[in-house]
Amino acid sequence: MGSLKIENVKKSFGKVDVLKGIDLEVQDGEFVVFVGPSGCGKSTLLRVIAGLEDATSGKVLIDGVNVVNTPPAKRGIAMVFQTYALYPHLTVRDNMGLGLKQAGTPTAEIDKRIGIASAMLSLEPYLQRRPAELSGGQRQRVAIGRAVVREPKLFLFDEPLSNLDAALRVNTRLEIAQLHRRLKATMIYVTHDQVEAMTLADKIVVLNAGRIEQVGAPMELYNSPANEFVAGFIGSPKMNFVDGARLGDGGAKTVGVRPEHLSVSASSGEWRGTVVHAEHLGADTNLYLDCEKAGLITVRIFGVYNAEPGATIYATPQPGKIFRFDAEGRAIR
Amino acid sequence: MSRAAHSPARSAAAHAVLIAYTAIALFPVLLIVINSLKSRNAIFRSPLALPTPETFDPVGYTTVMAQGDFLLYFQNSLIVTVGSLFFVILFGAMAAFALSEYRFRGNTLTGLYLALGIMIPIRLGTVAILQMMVASGLVNTLTALILVYTAQGLPLCIFILSEFMKTVSDDLKNAGRIDGLSEYRIFFRLVLPLVRPAMATVAVFTMIPIWNDLWFPLILAPSEGTKTVTLGAQIFIGQFVTNWNAVLAALSLAILPVLVLYLIFSRQLIRGITSGAVK
Amino acid sequence: MSVDDQPIKKPFRWHILVFLAPAFLVYTAFMIVPLAGTLQLSLFRRIDQQLVYVGLDNFRMLFGDPRWSVNFWNALWNNVWFFIIHMLVQNPIGVLLAALLSSPTLRFRAFYRTAIFVPTVLSFVIVGFVWKLILSPLWGVAPSLLNSVGLRSLFAPWLGKEEYALTALSLISVWQFVGIPMMLIYAALLSIPDEVIEAAEMDGITGISQFWKIKLPLILPSIGIISILTFVGNFNAFDLIYTAQGALAGPNFSTDILGTFLYRAFFGFQLQLGDPNMGAAIATMMFLIILAGVAVYLFAIQTRLRRYQF
Repeated sequence: MGSLKIENVKKSFGKVDVLKGIDLEVQDGEFVVFVGPSGCGKSTLLRVIAGLEDATSGKVLIDGVNVVNTPPAKRGIAMVFQTYALYPHLTVRDNMGLGLKQAGTPTAEIDKRIGIASAMLSLEPYLQRRPAELSGGQRQRVAIGRAVVREPKLFLFDEPLSNLDAALRVNTRLEIAQLHRRLKATMIYVTHDQVEAMTLADKIVVLNAGRIEQVGAPMELYNSPANEFVAGFIGSPKMNFVDGARLGDGGAKTVGVRPEHLSVSASSGEWRGTVVHAEHLGADTNLYLDCEKAGLITVRIFGVYNAEPGATIYATPQPGKIFRFDAEGRAIR
Repeated sequence: MSRAAHSPARSAAAHAVLIAYTAIALFPVLLIVINSLKSRNAIFRSPLALPTPETFDPVGYTTVMAQGDFLLYFQNSLIVTVGSLFFVILFGAMAAFALSEYRFRGNTLTGLYLALGIMIPIRLGTVAILQMMVASGLVNTLTALILVYTAQGLPLCIFILSEFMKTVSDDLKNAGRIDGLSEYRIFFRLVLPLVRPAMATVAVFTMIPIWNDLWFPLILAPSEGTKTVTLGAQIFIGQFVTNWNAVLAALSLAILPVLVLYLIFSRQLIRGITSGAVK
Repeated sequence: MSVDDQPIKKPFRWHILVFLAPAFLVYTAFMIVPLAGTLQLSLFRRIDQQLVYVGLDNFRMLFGDPRWSVNFWNALWNNVWFFIIHMLVQNPIGVLLAALLSSPTLRFRAFYRTAIFVPTVLSFVIVGFVWKLILSPLWGVAPSLLNSVGLRSLFAPWLGKEEYALTALSLISVWQFVGIPMMLIYAALLSIPDEVIEAAEMDGITGISQFWKIKLPLILPSIGIISILTFVGNFNAFDLIYTAQGALAGPNFSTDILGTFLYRAFFGFQLQLGDPNMGAAIATMMFLIILAGVAVYLFAIQTRLRRYQF
């Protein structure tokens, strides 16, 4: 219970096409993350699935039923918002119960579900409080609890962590991952943070300018990106792109190497360069090299590496870790 | 915080100017209220003195109570003000919600159309309004006043409230939609409670000119049974021009309710103005 | 795929109509239709119990017939003077009070604000009568007050003298409304971020020159709005003159403004009968004047006043 199928969904605001024909299938129980730069249409796609925006054309099928003309409350979905969106005048308990009450669920059943959800999210001590009396992390847990009690076919998360501070973000991320494991529910999650995408997803959907660039498991996207955009978007620091012609690679317009796939040496190597800047992060070191052959590139070295700006260093791509792209940006396999 | 530029002399000068102006603002009002409690002789002999046991004389108030139907006028004013206020706020908030929440064809145009009335005074339509009221038999009814004041108050109300409603979180409204609330319940249950402070501001802005208006009561509802306090006081004072006690008492009676309301709501009013709602 | 490309038909969103309809209908029926009706009425004239279309005849009469034109120009000029006094007195006082109030170290700020705004909430009727009594030579409050500062000789029954009455009434109106510019400018001053003021202090711009060089340019848009609000209010004024001086706007029409002129034309006074069509013509002129003022503000002034985003 909880599969989603999207067929050729398009959405335009006036003359601006935000979604240019999206096709996607999500299996029951999958955790799917939509990721992409801001303005890529990921939030709009989520809202079309939720029914908060009407698609201009196309179909949205939940468990095989086309829901384009079904109001949000009747789609069997629940949504967690970036700004929590708790009802400020209701207690935590009533915030969680409102949707069920509206649907005419018996009180005993509502109480039971709130009990389960609040235990799961350790919200029991706060049930009688109002949102204003809660911290940011607690509020987001209430918002998640409100989604859980609805026992939806689909959970939708709209950048749920971006209003939390860094430490809370990691905690809540963990909680969402555990929640998914426990509920085995279908979840769709929107974020612009590729770390969240990599850590949470069974399947990542990379969107750019209203189109799907690639769909795949996190390591699939990392190991074999379909195109230059996905290669640049997934992975941090960003992949280095070098003009193929400059490297004498006639077959590829662009050649890409991830910073962690470059070996360095002080004496010899393929690309000779000068250190422009070094970032010492403790666990690893990022070097920015200005190379004669490859231009400005980033190198990620695990552990501590001492290099002063101005020093000469040689970088060598590790064999088999080179990505090649054609003139349209497609990966050459 | 200590400011190098801050000097006690400057601060004293600022207080002097403000105290002087405060005196100018309050003096006339105090003068009327003080003298309304004094005997006729005392009013003229020493107008600036406070009433003493010797000079105290409530004759003005007894005259007013005996002569005018002030209680009825007061009731009329209350009905008209509260009635108009209710419709201005309800209809205005509904329209403001529609304009700020939904994208639909003609949205901007409707907004401009409804904002026209902020700049163009409704008074200029008086000739036609009177004819309309005569034709529909509404002359000398409080309904006529309520209708006109509702139309008068709507433009500013819609303008201010739609600015505020834009600040209500979209996520919250969407959460309501996902929980199955209808658009009406989202408006009444989620949005209205959140813009309550703005509504209070609008209420004060709307209330003062309605309560104080002389023009429309004079033209649309001058009959004895429908006079408002403002019109009643105007006519009463006109008749009792030489009875100083009565005139001063009538003025005090007209001032006090407004003053009390103002003191209750002044915080709200000032917060409304200074929050930039009226820009 | 062509089937999928069919735009999805959306159900009609009735709730938008329901939300908009009441306000739209009341506003249209009692504001727009009467305004349009007034404009239309000004093109008609009642001749032998028949309403006849006369084109611009009413306006020709208003400007050509001395019985009307003398009064019209008098009222218009008085109205302009009324406006000038407001601009010259009300706004500078408002700016001064607001500047004093916005000082960060000032105490009793709430008290001053509340007190100075009191006259604004009073009705014109009260204000008119209160000042009529205070300025009355019969009661003698004004002369004795002037006496106490040694200026007794300056006293005159201002409201009864043709040369002073209008100015006196304008100042009374200023007294009543100064709270509005004060509050709006106060709000504008508060919205200037502390950092900007602190940067000015660092640059050595303090005190009076800080006001002229930093704050005043930043509150100019608010002053623009106050000016247009004052303009609309002044050219629509009626109540104060009517309560203080009566519909005849005495002495000898010296305080007659467009509002009182409209009232007399419409309802008649003494022996002259009321004339709704001439009233409508005058209302139309007021409409055009206000519209012109608003247009000048919107297109000539507002576009030049820069608004700053903080």
